[in-house]
Amino acid sequence: MTVSSILLSRRGIPAVPGMLMLCALPGCIQLNAPDKPIEINLNVKVQQEVVVRLQQDAKDLIQNNPELFPQ
Amino acid sequence: MTRTLLLGGAVLMAGALILGGGLSSRASAQTPAVSAAVADGSVGEQADGYLGINGSVSAEVRAGVEAINIKRRAAYTDLAAKRGVTVADMAAATGCQTLASRVKQGQTYRIGGGAWQVKGSGPIALPAYCSTAN
Repeated sequence: MTVSSILLSRRGIPAVPGMLMLCALPGCIQLNAPDKPIEINLNVKVQQEVVVRLQQDAKDLIQNNPELFPQ
Repeated sequence: MTRTLLLGGAVLMAGALILGGGLSSRASAQTPAVSAAVADGSVGEQADGYLGINGSVSAEVRAGVEAINIKRRAAYTDLAAKRGVTVADMAAATGCQTLASRVKQGQTYRIGGGAWQVKGSGPIALPAYCSTAN
């Protein structure tokens, strides 16, 4: 936080506008926190396992009930 | 534990027999008609896990297809509950299997809402979600 932004904050003006002003200068990198939570998707593997399991169930179902699967 | 499961299974099966008794004797009489319809392509497997009718068929065949689909749905419902998935997912998984290994050359099949197709000499191009079907 810069001196100017602290000063601005002390005067009751939020620090953010101060920073925005500074970032208007060239060479300033502005980082914004993402507005959505960061998600790491672990569902892919689980879903794949479910599919494999269902395929086995399906095979068993067909094998055990050939009358339901006429050829 | 195993015994409990077996007993549970026996009770369920007995229930299914009582419930399905009338239906199954009728359906079994219709199965040859449905088999013939599958052979001539007027009835075919669908990727959604159910039999479908392609064109016009006799009332007997139609009733047979409906009876089979009702029983399939009951089986899918059962397995879906066991695996904690939707009935449609279980049915679609079975559809992958029927398309991959059950439909013979010259028989018809349908994927999604698409047109009926006749299976050629090669394997059917399955939907992506079937990628593990073998």
